[in-house]
Amino acid sequence: MSSIAISRVDPAANEALPPRPARFQRFVRETTLLVARGLQTIPRVPSRLSDVTIQPIVFTLLFLYVFGSAIHIPHMTYQNYLLPGLIGQSLAFGVIGAGVATATDFGSGVIDRFRSLPVTRLSVITSQVVGQIIEQILGIVIVAGIGLALGWRPHMSPWGLIELVLLVLLGLSAFTWFGVLMGMIVKSSDAMQGIGFAIVFPLSFLAGTFVPISGMKTIPRVIGEWDPLSALVAAIRKVTEGTPAHGSWQLEHPVIAMVVWCALIIAICVPLALRRFKLSN
Amino acid sequence: MTQSLTGRDELVVVTRGLTKHFGDFVAVDDFDLEVAAGTVVSLLGPNGAGKTTIVRMLATLSEPTAGSATVCGYDVVRNADSVRSVLSLTGQFAALEDNLTARENLLLMARLRGYQKGSATRIVEGLIERFDIGEFRDKLVKSVSGGQRRRVDLAASLVIQPKVLVLDEPTTGLDPRSRQVVWSTVRDLVSEGVTLFLTTQYLEEADALADHIVLIDHGRATAAGTPNDLKSRIGDQRVDIVAVDLESLDTLTAMLSGAFSVVVSRDQRMISIPAPNEVADLSAVTAVIGADGTLVDEIALRRPTLDDAFLALTGQPSHPTNETSDQEEVPA
Repeated sequence: MSSIAISRVDPAANEALPPRPARFQRFVRETTLLVARGLQTIPRVPSRLSDVTIQPIVFTLLFLYVFGSAIHIPHMTYQNYLLPGLIGQSLAFGVIGAGVATATDFGSGVIDRFRSLPVTRLSVITSQVVGQIIEQILGIVIVAGIGLALGWRPHMSPWGLIELVLLVLLGLSAFTWFGVLMGMIVKSSDAMQGIGFAIVFPLSFLAGTFVPISGMKTIPRVIGEWDPLSALVAAIRKVTEGTPAHGSWQLEHPVIAMVVWCALIIAICVPLALRRFKLSN
Repeated sequence: MTQSLTGRDELVVVTRGLTKHFGDFVAVDDFDLEVAAGTVVSLLGPNGAGKTTIVRMLATLSEPTAGSATVCGYDVVRNADSVRSVLSLTGQFAALEDNLTARENLLLMARLRGYQKGSATRIVEGLIERFDIGEFRDKLVKSVSGGQRRRVDLAASLVIQPKVLVLDEPTTGLDPRSRQVVWSTVRDLVSEGVTLFLTTQYLEEADALADHIVLIDHGRATAAGTPNDLKSRIGDQRVDIVAVDLESLDTLTAMLSGAFSVVVSRDQRMISIPAPNEVADLSAVTAVIGADGTLVDEIALRRPTLDDAFLALTGQPSHPTNETSDQEEVPA
């Protein structure tokens, strides 16, 4: 009797829940839904929108015209030197973006809501990573677009372009997983922002992003030579300009070094992040 | 699997010796609970009593340190996915996505539950109508009022027909009007046969909604019974007298303790006296104080609070740690 009463007022009673698909299909479906949710919210959070649009535009213009007037790189326009650096820096800043977004989601309780639903747990964390990667790609495309408009002329073959895209995606995966792990550990978006900037900002300046490492004083030079972000910047510059940097093994073999660094970060961060996600209570 | 919603004897939620430790801290201690199908059970206790920890374990968000819990016969650890498909949770911490609209949130929940787009849209339209969400359906959740948000929250739990609905402090922080709206929604659900497990800090809320109340403090069940059963043990009303200072508190205590059974709270400078005869007891108390001429800050007839319930049912205030601070806390 009461079931009749329910079907009258309860909207869910009139709709048949489809049979559950296989686990992998569910994972893909749920990840897609959750990624869409993340992307839907970007335009509604002014700070996130500006992080991937206005901030890269301002950085590109500032460095190109302020530093560009004073810095002379042999055999190269400053555009051609700077843009690979800015792309590398965008990759590194992805750590902060991913960390802040993750800390916000975990802090707000929306992740707990998703975890209380019968969705695959892996889809909740994967969507976090995929969503952030898409967001960062948007930022990098904007940086590259402005660069091209302002005179960046990369010297690369079609194969070089493929290599560049693959390297950028690898870098994004590594740094986003790192950021997601950090976000889960730090838990507060403000703290994540602070810690992220304190680490990533100096490392990205020392990484030969704006000026060659070889011209730095001893201490910053040594840090820069072994800074993982230097490998990133040098690898991207190697692919776009064909010119390796000098000073340390990783700078002379930047592409291999970048792949190794990223593989290392992924190998460490992914299991830790998954473990932390599973245990978070 | 439970089939019948009217089978009153069927137990939908069962916990046995449920225990949760966070490091050295024992949040939930050897907790037993049974919720029969079609009933409303309320877990009543102060902040930090362990209510939310129990809810989190039932909703598979947190694993028990010891003991077990089942929902519709599914173990919350071993069959977590099955538990999630029969249980819906609305809680302080199970939030909505702030930057989606009310409608987008509901659609997302319905889709994540497994419905195809068409079904999800129809369900959401139905819920929007039912919970009167229409006027703010396309507003971002972060910009709606607390009461409106709670309605979306409830609707989000009902994108499926859950076998058991868990509401964690559904009206904490709401204004009285919004609270009434939530209560009437909950009553509707109950009349439809939904099994409900509800936590609250408010005695009146448990009283208004529940068939069975479990009092909890420091992670342990301290008393249980029907609202009427518990109320008869608590006493209906009481007279509260707030003294102007500690000295006059002592004077008043000495004066009143002969004729009435008094409970003194020094840090609130308050004396409480049971008033089963309500106004008659109030005038008896005021007569004694008036005859002496001692000044008071406040004197009033009040309904029992959660603290009174704990005092009456367990012989202890809800936070025994306060007792020690009572002695030390002397106003400068």
